[in-house]
Amino acid sequence: MFTPVFIGQQLLNGLSFGATLFLLASGLTLVFGLMRIVNMAHGAFYMLGGYLGIVVSALSGNLLVGLIAAIAVVGVLAFFVEFVLLRFVRGQELPEVLLTIGVSFVVADICLWIFGGDPQQLPAAVRPQGAFTIGDFTYPWYGVFIIGVAILVGVALVIVQAKTRVGAIVRAGVDDREMISAMGVNIRWVFTGMFIVGAALAAIAGTIGAGRTPILQGVQNEVLLYALVVIIIGGLGSIAGAAVGSIAIGLIDVFAKTWIPEFAYFTVFLPMALVLVIRPQGLFGKAA
Amino acid sequence: MSNPATRVNPVVRPATGLIPSRVPGSGGGFFRSRAVQIIGLALIFVLGLALPYLGANSFTISLTSTILIAAILASSVNFLVGEGGMASLGHGAIAGAAAYGAGFASKQGWDVGMQVLLALGITLVVSFVYGILSMRTSGIYFLMVTLAVGMLIFGLASKYSTVTNGDTGIANIARPDFLGEYWQYYYFVFAMFVVATAILWLVTRSPFGASLRGIRDSESRMRSLGYSVPWYKVGAFMISGFIAGLAGLLAVWHTHFVSPTSAGVERSIFAIVMVILGGVGTLLGPLIGAAIVVLIENVLSSYVDRWQLVLGLVFILVILFLRAGVAGGIAKLVRRIRGRTTSPSGGGSPPPGVEPASNSNHTTARKETA
Repeated sequence: MFTPVFIGQQLLNGLSFGATLFLLASGLTLVFGLMRIVNMAHGAFYMLGGYLGIVVSALSGNLLVGLIAAIAVVGVLAFFVEFVLLRFVRGQELPEVLLTIGVSFVVADICLWIFGGDPQQLPAAVRPQGAFTIGDFTYPWYGVFIIGVAILVGVALVIVQAKTRVGAIVRAGVDDREMISAMGVNIRWVFTGMFIVGAALAAIAGTIGAGRTPILQGVQNEVLLYALVVIIIGGLGSIAGAAVGSIAIGLIDVFAKTWIPEFAYFTVFLPMALVLVIRPQGLFGKAA
Repeated sequence: MSNPATRVNPVVRPATGLIPSRVPGSGGGFFRSRAVQIIGLALIFVLGLALPYLGANSFTISLTSTILIAAILASSVNFLVGEGGMASLGHGAIAGAAAYGAGFASKQGWDVGMQVLLALGITLVVSFVYGILSMRTSGIYFLMVTLAVGMLIFGLASKYSTVTNGDTGIANIARPDFLGEYWQYYYFVFAMFVVATAILWLVTRSPFGASLRGIRDSESRMRSLGYSVPWYKVGAFMISGFIAGLAGLLAVWHTHFVSPTSAGVERSIFAIVMVILGGVGTLLGPLIGAAIVVLIENVLSSYVDRWQLVLGLVFILVILFLRAGVAGGIAKLVRRIRGRTTSPSGGGSPPPGVEPASNSNHTTARKETA
């Protein structure tokens, strides 16, 4: 259990799990940073994205097509949720959160209706296949692929946020909503757009992650909780925090599940509880 | 209350837009809604006592017990969110921890007294931990802490199998002999519901309850008045957690079984859904909400596959259009019938700072310091 090869594989397992978490958590944290909404439907978006990605890529034989379909459908759903539902309760923390819980119930049940209760996984045919070998060490390419996608998405998010006009508007919106509205930016549309982007990230995470762990009923709550842990540790609203938090939780979770399975959940939620008590704004967050 | 400071600085209502402007026992015209409450309570009391004599079969009685147990749990959440402005997503896990306490005692072959002792002891310890971890947070962060601690408990229940039997759960947990029959147990649960409601009502009416509402409405003001806000929160959590633990013990005696699902986040979510459906801060709200949720879960589910869809839609509609919940909606309706439309009630965010409710809260709070 402690051979270098095994530890190396677990390391990569942790990183690829962390990469899935990052794809998921970055969407959650961006939405929170701008809109101050903890979107409890984020896990349901992941689940729906996962199912759609599986079904469409199996039909078309192409992962990219599945990914686009997942993003499109989840994006439209997110538009509906934000534009039609959340506007009723704008600015009221608790009703916002509870509303997204309701959305999560509905989406999860519709998924059960359409896709059934059996666990489903991304068909092997559309995944990058095979494994790479260095001496005794082998590891499936798919894990590396997930890490690559996460890095790509993360870099893209950072560049958009730091270098583009849209990114500047979003950053300004995070800092001072009233001021950016006064300067002629329709912050409502920025909100709507950000909510869709967040949901799209969840859909990507769902589709890509479906090659790693199967999608089934209940997964929406599990991934949501992991994502919450990540963004709370990293700091709500911070992409860098989401990255660090994802890697940390991914590694902790994988190693804990191997070495101390009895306390598997404990090892993930204890750091979160500690961070909340000692540094409530998270490692990279600004004080609320 | 002509203190200009009160007028100038609007009372900030943190955390929620859910708390009705009218809390029991404050504000003009409360007598009428109180009268409605008393009539409602008396009706429910009589109905509850008479139920086994109305030809209800064992299924109905047992289902009613389930509703009452859920209502006790919902009351504990309702107290915290209604009086303290703290929305918890961890109460299901507290109830679960209590259930596991009883289950563990039963697994060791200890008698019923030890079950009670262990269940309530664990409840107090767990509630204290919750309270300590969450005492400096509010709003969304409070929600997160309670969620996290709840997940810790769920994780232990599911993985620490030497003590909890893991996902298999603990079965055959016996309740006291004198409660063996389903109708005997029903009356016991009913009595416990009345006791729990009475306890929470008394606490709500006490100076402690008033201070809690003060903290809900303006934490900073209470702090500057010299209140130790974090410890008030811990106290509130302990009371609420104790009631939740009671619900957990009753639940495990009802079903004779406990598994990680009983401590899962869904239970906590259901509890808060019940509170919202019924009406935050109302006395009867938790019972109404519990009845709706349990009936959808247990009765509707045998006719329709998509009961969760229905529950979710009902929940969304209530949040969008009936923010004060069913009980609040009824009270509003009654007031409207009586032609009493002077003060808005139960709307999303009432104009802050000009409420009789918030002012009288502060009056009570000050009286207590004097």
